[in-house]
Amino acid sequence: MAPEVRRRRTLGQVLLLSAGFLVLVVVSTASVLLVNKARSDSAWVVHTVEAENQINAVLLEVRRAESAARAYLLTQEQEFLNDHELAVAAIRPVLDKLNTLVADNPTQIGNLAQLRSVIETRLSQFDREKLLVARGDLAAAIALVRDAGSTTSSKTMRETAEAMRLEEERLLALRTANADASQQLAAIVTITGSALVVVLAIISVLLVRRSTRARDDAEAQLRESNLNLETTVDERTADLREANEEIQRFAYIVSHDLRSPLVNIMGFTSELEELRNDIFRRIASLARAVSAAPPPAEGAEPELEGADKQLSEDFSEALGFIKSSIAKMDRLISAILNLTREGRREFVPVRIDTRELIEQIVSTLAHQADEAHTTIRVEPLPAIVSDRLALEQIFSNLIDNAIKYMKPGVPGDIRIRARTKLGFAIFEVADNGRGIDPRDHQRIFDLFRRAGTQDRPGQGIGLAHVRALVRRLGGTMSVASELDQGSTFTITLPINWNVSNRNSDR
Amino acid sequence: MTMPVTIIMIEDDEGHARLIERNIRRSGVNNEIKPFTNGTDAVKYLLGADGSGLDHKGHALLILLDLNLPDMTGIDILKMVKQNSYLKSAPVVILTTTDDSQEIKRCYELGCNVYITKPVNYESFANAIRQLGLFFSVIQVPPAA
Repeated sequence: MAPEVRRRRTLGQVLLLSAGFLVLVVVSTASVLLVNKARSDSAWVVHTVEAENQINAVLLEVRRAESAARAYLLTQEQEFLNDHELAVAAIRPVLDKLNTLVADNPTQIGNLAQLRSVIETRLSQFDREKLLVARGDLAAAIALVRDAGSTTSSKTMRETAEAMRLEEERLLALRTANADASQQLAAIVTITGSALVVVLAIISVLLVRRSTRARDDAEAQLRESNLNLETTVDERTADLREANEEIQRFAYIVSHDLRSPLVNIMGFTSELEELRNDIFRRIASLARAVSAAPPPAEGAEPELEGADKQLSEDFSEALGFIKSSIAKMDRLISAILNLTREGRREFVPVRIDTRELIEQIVSTLAHQADEAHTTIRVEPLPAIVSDRLALEQIFSNLIDNAIKYMKPGVPGDIRIRARTKLGFAIFEVADNGRGIDPRDHQRIFDLFRRAGTQDRPGQGIGLAHVRALVRRLGGTMSVASELDQGSTFTITLPINWNVSNRNSDR
Repeated sequence: MTMPVTIIMIEDDEGHARLIERNIRRSGVNNEIKPFTNGTDAVKYLLGADGSGLDHKGHALLILLDLNLPDMTGIDILKMVKQNSYLKSAPVVILTTTDDSQEIKRCYELGCNVYITKPVNYESFANAIRQLGLFFSVIQVPPAA
């Protein structure tokens, strides 16, 4: 899966989760608000119903007081008077309660004030009736009752109460509708929110399933790659080894076949040299015969003179160059042959005390070191598992080089030390010799290349050979040096080299 | 020598052949030298028309053999000679540029009598051939049975 697609998918999931969360928050908030509104709406409905009840209660109490008063007027029995008093006592608290209930509605407050004044008038009539009855003036009391009945007061009271009830009815209808609306809204919001959440959840689940499938695919692919990887590495290693062997074979055959014509060149050059002697001897004797000089003593070589001598010398010089070039070419070819032969040698891993090995090399080089006024110090070195011959060649080349390229007139000092790190032994061969220009650090490891003043014999093979060996042993080598500052060659070798890591290296 | 020994020289490089011949002559060996520049012709000659080697019955042969031939390796010829009942008693001298120790060992195992590496240094080369000539003049080569 491309990283772009993966990133987009992750982003999508995050967005989806955020959206789901947002929807949940909105729905919850809306629900809480709407439920609160519905509750207050219901409370208002209850409030209206209560107000209506109170209106009815006022009317009921007024009627009760009226009927009790009438009964008392008819019978003058104390029982009815008590009943009347009770009813009258109940009227005012009910009115007060109604007052608090309708305090929010100015229309009702007006109505209530009217109702209250009408009731107060009625109550004062009751008081007068009771007073007349108590005085025994029944006729006046009855007349008062009749008068009260005929006046508009009871009618007004009824109408006012009716108006109040109607108002409350209207409010009830309104508030019920309100409450219904808010409840419906709450239900709609809840349902819509839930539906949204469900949809988001479904999308989420689908996305998760898709990414799970993608991950499973990727895992399967990874497993397969892992299985293939080893095979691939083996194949590549085999290819590389084959290529390397081919190069070795090639180098071997080329250098070998180059030698064959060289034998001829050298052979016939030597034959020419023989011929040269014959030719110039003959020229000398002819020249002598022409100039009529006395023949030389028996057995003595005839001497050449003038131009003939020059000719002979030129001839010899040419032959000399040819022969020295052939000799040089032969050395180079032999070097390549040796290198390829070395490359084909099987390495045998054995446990080697490197200090002992290097002390041995130092003792064989002791004579050369003495001549170069050089001391060699070998510090404690680790024991490693490697190929003995290869190690001998590596270190004797390096120490030999160090002795060879000392600064003239300065007593040499060569130090060999080592440390171990992460399964590798790091050897350092440090000298205080003439050093190597940093520009030449790569060049000195190339075959047939040398650096610095060419005042020492050599073919430019040693370090190339050393590096090839180090590589075959699964190690690396490097040099740190400045001109006139000495050189330090660092060789890193595995402590436990075995055939398998040679294979991977070859 | 009771019989004149014929020297069979199988050498593809004519320059080498010439140098070898010159140096053999210089060492005073005057035997007939039959040069071959490829393996096929040499094998044809050695085995004769019928391919059995019977033609050389009763002749004394000495074979100078180069390992690097254009059409086959000298080892094949060495094997062939040493397996042929008429030729196997003929001494075989391997004279080649190969100085690989494995190769040398193999040749001796196959029955070669002398193995000489051609050095580029002509002094050594001439010396080696002259000594070989000396060797030719003293060894007794049995006639092919």
